[in-house]
Amino acid sequence: MRWRRKRNELDAEIEAHFRMAVAERVMRGEDEAAARRAVEREIGNVALVKDVAREAWGWVWLERLLQDVRYAVRQLRKSPAFAVTVIATLALGIAAPAAMFTVVDRVMLRPLPYRDAGRLVYINDASQRNEHDYRAGAPYLDLEEWRKWSRSFESIGFFVQANGRNFLEGKTVTEGVAFYKVSANLFGVLGTAPALGRDFRNDPDGFAKNADERSVVISDALWRSMFGGEPNVLGQSVKISGEPYVVVGVMPRGFSFPFDPETPEVWSLAQLGDTDNGRTDGTPLYTVLGRLNSGVRAAQGEAELTTLQKQIAVGYVDPEIRQERSGVWIGSYSGSLVEKDTKRALEMLLAASGVLWLIACVNVTNLLLARAMVRQREVAVRGALGAGRWRIMQQFMAEGLLLSGCGALIGIGLALIAVKLFAGGIKHHLPFPVAIAPDWRMIAGLLLLTVVSALVSSIWPAWMAAHAPIEPALKQGGLQAGNARGQHRMRGVLVVVEIALSLTLLVGCGLLLRTIYALRHVPLGFRTDRIIVANLHIPGYKFGGQNMTHSLYLPLLERAKHLPGVQSAGLMTEVPLGGTFNIHLELKMDASQSPNRKSWKVVSLLKAATPDLQQVFGFKMLAGRFFNQQDTPSSQPVFVVNRAFAREYSPDQQDLSKVIGMKLWHITEGKDAEIVGVLDDMRQSAVAEPSTPEIEASISQITPESGVYKTLEGIAMDLAVRTDRDPKVMIPELREVLRQADPALAGSNFTTMNQVVEDSFGSQRLAAHLLEIFGGSALLLCVAGLYGLLAYVVSQRTRELGVRLALGAQRGDLLWLVLRQASVMLVSGVVIGLGLALASGRVVRSYLYGVSARDGWTLGFVALTLMSIGLLAAYLPARRAAMVNPMEALRAE
Amino acid sequence: MAKEIYKNRIELLQGTLDMLILQTLQWGPQHGYGISQAIRASSGEVLQVETGSLYPALHRLERQKWVESEWRVTESKQKAKYYRITAAGKEQLAENRDRWEQMVAAIGGVLGTDCG
Repeated sequence: MRWRRKRNELDAEIEAHFRMAVAERVMRGEDEAAARRAVEREIGNVALVKDVAREAWGWVWLERLLQDVRYAVRQLRKSPAFAVTVIATLALGIAAPAAMFTVVDRVMLRPLPYRDAGRLVYINDASQRNEHDYRAGAPYLDLEEWRKWSRSFESIGFFVQANGRNFLEGKTVTEGVAFYKVSANLFGVLGTAPALGRDFRNDPDGFAKNADERSVVISDALWRSMFGGEPNVLGQSVKISGEPYVVVGVMPRGFSFPFDPETPEVWSLAQLGDTDNGRTDGTPLYTVLGRLNSGVRAAQGEAELTTLQKQIAVGYVDPEIRQERSGVWIGSYSGSLVEKDTKRALEMLLAASGVLWLIACVNVTNLLLARAMVRQREVAVRGALGAGRWRIMQQFMAEGLLLSGCGALIGIGLALIAVKLFAGGIKHHLPFPVAIAPDWRMIAGLLLLTVVSALVSSIWPAWMAAHAPIEPALKQGGLQAGNARGQHRMRGVLVVVEIALSLTLLVGCGLLLRTIYALRHVPLGFRTDRIIVANLHIPGYKFGGQNMTHSLYLPLLERAKHLPGVQSAGLMTEVPLGGTFNIHLELKMDASQSPNRKSWKVVSLLKAATPDLQQVFGFKMLAGRFFNQQDTPSSQPVFVVNRAFAREYSPDQQDLSKVIGMKLWHITEGKDAEIVGVLDDMRQSAVAEPSTPEIEASISQITPESGVYKTLEGIAMDLAVRTDRDPKVMIPELREVLRQADPALAGSNFTTMNQVVEDSFGSQRLAAHLLEIFGGSALLLCVAGLYGLLAYVVSQRTRELGVRLALGAQRGDLLWLVLRQASVMLVSGVVIGLGLALASGRVVRSYLYGVSARDGWTLGFVALTLMSIGLLAAYLPARRAAMVNPMEALRAE
Repeated sequence: MAKEIYKNRIELLQGTLDMLILQTLQWGPQHGYGISQAIRASSGEVLQVETGSLYPALHRLERQKWVESEWRVTESKQKAKYYRITAAGKEQLAENRDRWEQMVAAIGGVLGTDCG
């Protein structure tokens, strides 16, 4: 280092000067020892000379800073308990927001890989009252009008996901892909173009209708995994679910649309059919994506299109459909990627982590304040020796920076561990994988937090210390000087703030824990233990014209049943709470069967299952029977319904079993089905949602002739296996069975039923886990703060307490004296905290299930817990106060 | 404080001391001790340059690029840091001299009138 070399040079220079001066004196005949003494006197204070010379270099501030840091290290080494407490506190306080920030940054702030993603919006038809609880999309004729007349949009494109599961067949391998049919201009709307090859050919009108119909563009990930990243992929013939295509382009790395970086994607041109030229019930709907003109807000675009759509809707002949499609609503594209629920949960958690950070800062301030008071005499001495106030504050701030630097380092570590631990829980709710590695933004954010926390928590104590009057501090007993009382009061206020904030966090945590408890104890209606579920990737296109039940499912099931350890195995279009697929059905009912109903329409969820499913899930029949082997395509078609269905449609509400024997139109045209059994309710889509009417059909009775066959059997099917072995061991064996049935099935997802249920708890679980940590840390910090303050107060009042004892106070009185002080702080903190908790109830209300945001039990329990733990923390210093030996206390001064 | 005393002296001699050092270096490169001895000798033992003023002044002059330094071996086989005046230093010296002479003349004028 230049600086060090220069320092050494200065030393050598002065050394040389000294030797030359001595040598000259010796030459003049002086005795060497005398000469040395004389020269030493002449030069004076060598260190000071060097100091002043160095000042000429202009780096003194740096040197001082290093000095300060070195001094700070020495000071901290002298009181390791203090240092550890502060560093641990700061680490906790920094880790929480850092971990939350990583997640929030990934989910909400990270720009999407499209040009100006903020201007991309979904455009949907809506009813006049603008009801839009599902993404409706629009028929081609409507969106064509929007494109022609609207002025708010730079461009409008559309897309639709191809039916069913899709597989891309290359020369050697087959891979499951997400397949989208898009408008020719869609990549243009997104502001991207293929990195390799070309985009779809656009006709002059902007929307290709039939040009280029056999071209396909593939994603970068697919290109690398299936084609080894070879440029000769262009022009290659591939098959997508049996249909031939030619690869014309590869999208850039990282591009994904709709955003889902985990799944390989392929895009081909949407083909408009005759049905697209009408506006009826059967007209296909497309998801419409528009790019707003710059400077145009989504609300303006929505207003314009709503006016436009009023005129367009006249084209709908059916009054009911016209009503449903006479408005427009617009939703931001980026906003649609994360569920509102998750987004709000993240915001709430970010706020909670901020509160924890605040508590940590308050606590550290308190600790530093206490330390500043203990060191008052040291500061006074330095002041008396001429140290400026600024210099003293600088010293304290150096200590603060050092502490928060260490805290930040440990905090980063903790944050990484936290993100890693919860990555699993988070993954389920987020569209993208959360990076485990911190990025520069996180580091920058953390540094900022560190500096802010250092400044926040050290400036005040430093200011106090630097401005304390010197004289009283130098005197004996000066610590009981006037301003100490004011400082005690300030520290008391800080502790009250801490208690209040902690209580708020703890109440939130308590409410969510009760929610999770309630969710876990909802009767699900089925068993969940030791069940493995495979969500099958069905290559439906390979079974055209065959009955998949006989050619695929039953043989597969038979083989799965014969694996060692399998107790029973069944198939169902979707397991309860699976959340992957559902189909709503409208059936007609014979009027004579249900005379008390106005409409003969039955609206219900439809599922198909095999007989053995009852053994797998162990669900209860309220009446009648479940399917059996006698239910075949040639026998009487049968349905099993659930309790919710019976409650809704049974002819006799008192006796739900009367629904048995009722006839419904079967899904196979022309045949009536008979209801043969009533299942007890099972949770279908979410644990917190009540059951809705459901009809189950026997898989073997659904034949290719029935309208829903393709949807039920060709797209959705779950294999559920009850086993007495470890699921981890079973999964590879099951996968092998699937692979033998068809190679494409090997890509199926496996999970356990316990996991399915756990996942269905939604964001509450994630929020509860994190809040547990935040709440626990907050409790710890506030107890430490209370204890620290009281311990300090007692140590400062030793003499006073001694005098009281000597004057006849009882030890119990002293105990009470300190506990009373603690109680005042605890009670005021708890009261303020309860107020805050009630006020912030609105934030958590939407996450709660089975408990109110103002739940008295939770509030009371948390308040009591905090009070008792607080009193426990106060008891130790109080007891020390009571044990004071009056003689020693008086002599000590 | 002791440090303050040194500082004050430097400030008293500031400019003047710099000028004397630069003037001394006109005769050739010299080390710190040599400079102090030369000033002492040429002032007839009147001006004693304190070490505490000399080295800060030398480092200040070096930072201003009026002098340069290098390590050399003295006649008595000692390693010492030699300072040499630069072109900019010579200009500065000429400027200082002018100002000094003006001031001496001015002060002399004032004193001369008084003595009359």
